[in-house]
Amino acid sequence: MPSFELIFNILVALTFLAYWVVVFIILYHLTRFGIGVQPKRLAAIFLLGSVVLFCISIIVYLNVNTNPLLNIRPW
Amino acid sequence: MVNKLLSILRDSPNSFEGQEADEKVVMLLRKHIFVVLIALVGFALASFVPLIVLIIFATFIIKLGLLSLVIFISSLWYLAIWLAVFRYLTMYTLNTFIITDRRIIDRDQYGFFNQKVSELHTDRIQDVTVHTNGVIETILHFGNIVVQTAASEREFVFHQIPEPEKVKDAIMQIVHSRMSKATTR
Repeated sequence: MPSFELIFNILVALTFLAYWVVVFIILYHLTRFGIGVQPKRLAAIFLLGSVVLFCISIIVYLNVNTNPLLNIRPW
Repeated sequence: MVNKLLSILRDSPNSFEGQEADEKVVMLLRKHIFVVLIALVGFALASFVPLIVLIIFATFIIKLGLLSLVIFISSLWYLAIWLAVFRYLTMYTLNTFIITDRRIIDRDQYGFFNQKVSELHTDRIQDVTVHTNGVIETILHFGNIVVQTAASEREFVFHQIPEPEKVKDAIMQIVHSRMSKATTR
């Protein structure tokens, strides 16, 4: 049976993957279908913010301690 | 090279898919920014949720040693809000009304893969009406524009457009110039 930590890591990896898929879809729509300057500016801000937020999440993720979760007993 | 790349953020042309060779874009319209601000307030309120949870359950979280996990889940919450905000802004940006010197194009983006494009040739326009409803619309100068076509066809309604009077004048000007061109031929 896979360990709790492994399951947690897989779930986090899938979440980050889903995040980048949605980022790509938004960027694609803004740059491909956007008319004028505004969509391009939005796309640039969005890409920059997405990278920054992702880096922050990764740093926070590296400091996560999942062991206390295993010690929680509902009874 | 970098300057050339960045120039797309300063002077990107208002060209669009399906534009004819000598067709000129007269106006590119989107809904008034006030519509976006209301939604952004909702997202701003949602960003306080992790903070509120942390304050309410602070002793419980610290006692069980879950602080790092809660901070990580909060970071995921902010990633989700970031995506939701830009999904909304993308839909707002892609919902456009393009007025060219020969037609009006209404692009409605309902979702990432759900789009409707309607167009109306200016020679079919019969009447243009501006409808401003309520205090906010009156103060901030935005409203609906109803473009009436021939009786058998449906009408075009552009919702919450900034400075609708100017838009109406521009449409009527295009219609008159097209009509005068047609009569001189």
